Amino acid sequence: METNWAAEQLQTIRTLMERSAVYRRALAPIMLFVGFVGVLAAAIGFLFHFDSPSAFEYLWTDAAMFAFAGAVIISRRQAFKAKEPFLSPPARRVVQAMLPSWLAGLIAASVFRLLAVNDSQLFWWLPPIWMVLYGLALYGAGFFTPRGIRLLGWCFFLSGLAALVILAIKSMSGPLPPLIYAHYLMGFFFGVLQLVYGAYLYLTEKGKNAA
Amino acid sequence: MNPEPYLQLDRVIHEKGRLAIMSMLAASPELSFTELRDALGMTDGNLTTHIRSLQETGYVSVAKSYQNRRPLTTCSLTAAGRKAFREYVNLLEQIVQQNRPK
Repeated sequence: METNWAAEQLQTIRTLMERSAVYRRALAPIMLFVGFVGVLAAAIGFLFHFDSPSAFEYLWTDAAMFAFAGAVIISRRQAFKAKEPFLSPPARRVVQAMLPSWLAGLIAASVFRLLAVNDSQLFWWLPPIWMVLYGLALYGAGFFTPRGIRLLGWCFFLSGLAALVILAIKSMSGPLPPLIYAHYLMGFFFGVLQLVYGAYLYLTEKGKNAA
Repeated sequence: MNPEPYLQLDRVIHEKGRLAIMSMLAASPELSFTELRDALGMTDGNLTTHIRSLQETGYVSVAKSYQNRRPLTTCSLTAAGRKAFREYVNLLEQIVQQNRPK
């Protein structure tokens, strides 16, 4: 009986420790960088007329890869500074929570590339799908990070759903606008919104830098 | 059965509420009073009492500061607290090992 008690006690300790170990690296620089990449990609897409489906898709998948690489470097630097392992248990959980949605986003991009290579009307559906998936990724990660990330996840998810509904209604009543305007949508959500959130975090984060 | 490990368990940590606080703090560099309260579902009064006794034993240190012009109380384990917690967990493991059927 005593063994059971001791084992239960150990299990409780383990559960509480896991719950406590949330990802605490400063997210402000990561959000600011990712937002900046979003705004930059939208500006490039709009100014240099990336209006064909393949150009649109390549620009934004490249921007996503670049943003991801930057986020990894920033968080690695923070871990190095704090003399902690880069892939700490909470960091691993955040990556695991986001990975399925990221992969789904990449697969969606490849499917659209194959199916809608010359159909810019069809390609309009990709940005809201990315928004929904990114929202789900942030929502999943939000269980292992401070609460605000989950809220941002909801914001992306609901806005993506709303965009899908609006697109459906618009496509029933006539052709959709040229694809170049989709850069506005992407730039606003993946750029401006994340920049604003990053700025908010920058002003409110207490310089915490531990995983 | 050797009763010794059980008798050696630190009575301060052994209490359910205090053990929960110590476990949370052991996995995090520091936690705010609000984070602890919300995660453990304790009342302000209950948490204050437990933290005070942990502080008096020298296991927990409490820092008061301001964030966005609001008072912020953060708690963290002291070196002594970390050591006591490690010993407590080791003793629990010993109890489990000792009573495991061979």
